[in-house]
Amino acid sequence: MTPTDSLSRTFAALADPTRRSILARLAKGQATVNEIAEPFAMSLQAVSKHLKVLEVAGLISRGRDAQYRPCRFEPAPLEVATDWMTKNQQIWTERFDRLEQHLTHINHDQHKEKK
Amino acid sequence: MSEGPTVSGELTITRIFNARPEVVFECMTTPSHLTHFWGPIGISTPLSGIIVEPKPGGRFETLMVNDQSGEEYPMRGVFVEFDPPKKFSFTEAGVEGGMMTSIVFHDLGDGRTETVTHQTNVPPMLMSPEARQGLESSFVKMDEYLERL
Repeated sequence: MTPTDSLSRTFAALADPTRRSILARLAKGQATVNEIAEPFAMSLQAVSKHLKVLEVAGLISRGRDAQYRPCRFEPAPLEVATDWMTKNQQIWTERFDRLEQHLTHINHDQHKEKK
Repeated sequence: MSEGPTVSGELTITRIFNARPEVVFECMTTPSHLTHFWGPIGISTPLSGIIVEPKPGGRFETLMVNDQSGEEYPMRGVFVEFDPPKKFSFTEAGVEGGMMTSIVFHDLGDGRTETVTHQTNVPPMLMSPEARQGLESSFVKMDEYLERL
């Protein structure tokens, strides 16, 4: 079962530390599966599985060359995810700013009632 | 837990309010209070569009309206936990494949309250009715789910 919308796919793909390391490696330049697998203590098959998840999430693309198929980092989904999170944080921050003001009003009203 | 957004789609915001937990909790779960602050700057939240059914499984819905353009932003949430004045959490099935928001209220003992708001993007498979029964453990499930990918 794969999350259907793109943002969920991006977040799911990024949730794994190995996949984040792979992306960090590819951000420096394209690489083949063998090159990517080198620093990891895991089988080529396991690395290929991670690459598949990243590819489905649109975070990497694979070259046409049937034998090597070099992987390239694709930053666009990451930017969409970051924008969304930043926007969301902004909403909560402004909401809490207004709640703070509202609490001050309530306090004032309570003091008035006591008098 | 780190403050602010993370790459894995989680957001944590810690905030201290100058009021007791009972007051802050009531403000965040009562329509007549929510209408004053739920919308961020430039966005109103009319009282008529707010529904709060204060219990697990109850609805938590708001309709925010852009003051300038009139554009509407509906939120359709369902409470998972409702434990005044300590904690409430809700899920939004319609947002980006499902989202879980929890807000914990810590009594600082001096009339102030620290709130910790935590949002997690929950994959859609967790939003099925069967899965919803066990949503308390949804974070554990999400980890398992991500491992299987």
